[in-house]
Amino acid sequence: MAFWRRSFPVDLAEEGRFSRREFARFLALVSAGFTAGLGWLWWRKKPLDGPAPATGSGPVPLGLAADLKPGQSRLFTFRGPQDRCILLRTPLGELRAYRQACTHLGCAVRFRNDELVCPCHEGVFEIEHGFPIQGPPTRPLSRVALEVRADGTLWAVGDLPAPAGPSPRASLACPLQARREEVA
Amino acid sequence: MNRPSNARRALFSDAALVLALLILGIQVYLFETVLQAVLEGQRGLLPGAFIASLALTLVALAVAFKAPHLDDGPRH
Ligand code: FES
Repeated sequence: MAFWRRSFPVDLAEEGRFSRREFARFLALVSAGFTAGLGWLWWRKKPLDGPAPATGSGPVPLGLAADLKPGQSRLFTFRGPQDRCILLRTPLGELRAYRQACTHLGCAVRFRNDELVCPCHEGVFEIEHGFPIQGPPTRPLSRVALEVRADGTLWAVGDLPAPAGPSPRASLACPLQARREEVA
Repeated sequence: MNRPSNARRALFSDAALVLALLILGIQVYLFETVLQAVLEGQRGLLPGAFIASLALTLVALAVAFKAPHLDDGPRH
């Protein structure tokens, strides 16, 4: 008797009827499942890709300015596929756009209660100019220039301000994260 | 015509089963690697990976349905 049978003396009623061929068929079926998964990823390629991210240096359309109501925000990509920015309308009706990366350690800020809040270390930025008002960040968010055209469309224009590198404080607090940002 | 001995049949059976398991292992590795690449935006790998995966699945199916003596496992 095999060692494992002596160690685990469990008898199942159906055990004897499960042949090697059935097991091999099961393995083949699972294998076919992986193939189907890859095929699906391939087939979904185009719909998933969507429109190419705006990576050029020209103006980037952000839709109709009137679509964004006070207190609402929307994310967009500007210049590079990794450069996420946040567009928002302040309660006073002004449009503002900032790079989404927090100037502390680079987490993504969110628009909440008329402030831009970083969930990582509870940093808070005001929305008029992106200045830090609470928490560890010491430098303002990078601001993206906006332009509303005669037809009511909104465009992000100009350059994306250089990513604010890790502050000296941040480097001391977390050298590993600071280095990761440098590499990125 | 010669009929394979019991020992030989069991060997065929073991080899077929090991092959099926090996194929599944490769499929798991392939899928995980390709998914990682796709999430990083390298979609160019997909056609090749799909064809390789399809070939492996065909082999696994052939083993499972056509391999001789697959039921002749070790008796206890
Ligand atoms: S990363 Fe934003 S507060 Fe630390």
